[in-house]
Amino acid sequence: MEISVIGINHRSAAVDVRERFALPNDLAKKLLQAIRAEKIFSEALVLDTCNRTEVYFVSKTQQDSLAHLLGHITQLKQTPPLADTSVFYHHQGLDVVRHLFRVAGTLDSQMVGEHQILGQLKDAYRLALDAGTTRFLLNKLLHWAFRVGKRVQTQTQLGRGSVSIATSAVELAGQIFSKLSGKTVLLVGAGETAELVAKALLRSGVNELIVANRTLSRAERLADDFVQNVRAKNLKAKTVCPASLDEQNKVGPELAGPKAEHGSSTGSQQSLRTRAIGLDEIPAVVGGVDLLICSTGSSEPVLTYQNMANSLRHENHPLLIIDISVPRNVEARLGDLPNVFLYNIDDLDMLVARNLERRREEIPRAEAIIDDEVEQFGKWLNSLQVAPTVKLLQQHFEQLKQAQIVRYGRKFASSEQKDLEEFSRGLCSKILHKPITFLRDLTADSADSEALAIIDAIRQMFDLDTLEQNE
Amino acid sequence: MFSLSIILNWLLPLLYLALLVDYGATFFLRTKTQARNPWLIPVIGIHAFFLILRSVQLGQVPLADMYEILSVLALLTTAVYAVVEFASRDRRTGMFVFLLVFLFQYTSSNFLAGTIMAEGVAEVESQSAGCDRLHIILALAAYTAFAISAVYGMLHLLAERNLRKHRFGVLFDRLPSLDLLGRMTWHALLGGFIFITITIITAPLLLGHGGSGATAQSLDAKVIVKIVIGSIAWLVYVVAVLGKLLGKWTSRRISSIAVTGFVVIMILLIVSGILS
Repeated sequence: MEISVIGINHRSAAVDVRERFALPNDLAKKLLQAIRAEKIFSEALVLDTCNRTEVYFVSKTQQDSLAHLLGHITQLKQTPPLADTSVFYHHQGLDVVRHLFRVAGTLDSQMVGEHQILGQLKDAYRLALDAGTTRFLLNKLLHWAFRVGKRVQTQTQLGRGSVSIATSAVELAGQIFSKLSGKTVLLVGAGETAELVAKALLRSGVNELIVANRTLSRAERLADDFVQNVRAKNLKAKTVCPASLDEQNKVGPELAGPKAEHGSSTGSQQSLRTRAIGLDEIPAVVGGVDLLICSTGSSEPVLTYQNMANSLRHENHPLLIIDISVPRNVEARLGDLPNVFLYNIDDLDMLVARNLERRREEIPRAEAIIDDEVEQFGKWLNSLQVAPTVKLLQQHFEQLKQAQIVRYGRKFASSEQKDLEEFSRGLCSKILHKPITFLRDLTADSADSEALAIIDAIRQMFDLDTLEQNE
Repeated sequence: MFSLSIILNWLLPLLYLALLVDYGATFFLRTKTQARNPWLIPVIGIHAFFLILRSVQLGQVPLADMYEILSVLALLTTAVYAVVEFASRDRRTGMFVFLLVFLFQYTSSNFLAGTIMAEGVAEVESQSAGCDRLHIILALAAYTAFAISAVYGMLHLLAERNLRKHRFGVLFDRLPSLDLLGRMTWHALLGGFIFITITIITAPLLLGHGGSGATAQSLDAKVIVKIVIGSIAWLVYVVAVLGKLLGKWTSRRISSIAVTGFVVIMILLIVSGILS
């Protein structure tokens, strides 16, 4: 009996191939039900994310599992079979353990360090539990993988720092403001990146947005589009694909309510108030703004020292300006004002590059953790062999026997010592005979999950792991 | 008992040094940044025990000279920081606070070492009474708040400088937000100002009716120095408080005053201590 994984991911296949084998929840559930019904695999789990579709399973036979699974998937998805199956990888034994630990530790992700994968793995496990296709071995492996993921997360800096322009803007804002709720964002222009930054800020709690454009009607339309767009797309309670972080930035949180001037929120949902203004109104409103994102197509600075300085000079709260335009639209001198923090696209790029480099530097540490955990899992798996367990059980009883003879031996005459020894040995043999026979019969049955669970229980019952370590 | 005092007197700077190293590791290695430090309470306990022991030996609270006051200041700063850390669960600024605390306690222990030895052979002379103690404790609470305000003010200035220069280095990663540092600086400064105002207002009442006889007729040079230092501190901080409340001064200006004010107070206290 062996653990295996068959899968396809961003490294082995292009997206057009991956999407043919993607298994959303409903299909994954059907596949698990089919696996359970035919009883070829004793355990199974389906992990499906944007970058991977993997089936983990435990089987007793060495049949062609790939062909078997692909048959199921093509039937479920009603797609023609794939001629070239080399895009699939197939690992067995400890290679599966290493692969899963790397997945849980985000090392196998497209964007290393994005820990959403752990949530996706937990969802997959929940699905398999509900379908009744996980038992002793996969239960143990998955829980171990969750622990590995957590360990990598806490013991390395792999997930630290933003790795997209939009999230790096949020990271910058976090250096200035302790919380972003209640802060006001002014979006100048209609650049796509600026919109992504604004949405990332909204997701972090900002709930007031002013949109400024050269023409007021365009600004109004933008503000309206913004609310409609984020209202339409609901990210709530959805785990996002780590590799598509920038895609994520194109989607807003569940925002509700009519527009500000045009309206506010309903119930417990996050509210968004928007306002549209012309470029000439910026100096009048900028004093009350906390974050300004500028991205226009203008070849000249839109925000100049001359027209902004008077409005900003007397403010005592900080203003973070992020100028994403190329050529720059914010005059550099504005950054000299006491409470203004001015950053441009190069600064954000620099922050992203630094964070990516740091993540890369952390990979060896994460790999070391995974090596260690794979070794531990291997030891645990080996300990579930029948022969060493029987040997340890005999040693345990031998130790008990010797201890009792030492303790009570002096109550017997020296002529009786031999009889006592033989009596003890005989008694231990009799007691152990049935359990050992039972354990050996487990081997004859090819040791399925139940057998491993029994061996594990026996080892725990007699504390055989401690005995093994002491040797 | 004197031997125990001597041991504790030298143990305390070592303990604060250990805490400084621990917080330094937290700051530089970014480990356990959101966890409470389990060693804070034991160190506070040991320091409090040392001061109680000194009180028993002296027959009064050990606040007679500059160096005893520094030790109490170290304890109070640690206690206030412990409250901040326990409330915020953030220990990233601990290194800076304990740098100051260590310097306080090291200076105190260094100078007190000789005094404790001398006390071992000479009878201790009781110097002041209960009302004096209350006055001194109020003043110490004010100086502790100013010390913490100065630490956070310095961090605020450093963080702002880094952000302005677009440096994404150690401080960028490890310090709390500018906003939070500014608020902590202001709140500590305001607390210190309230305490020093109460200290000054109640001084004639407490000292005039106290057993020490520090009335207007018996003002010695030491008392005059303390009055001058207290007044300068009050003047410095009243400017900051009024500027913030009425003039809407920026956090940067408040932080600058917090740091400058505290440096001036420390210089005056140390100089007066050496001269007396």
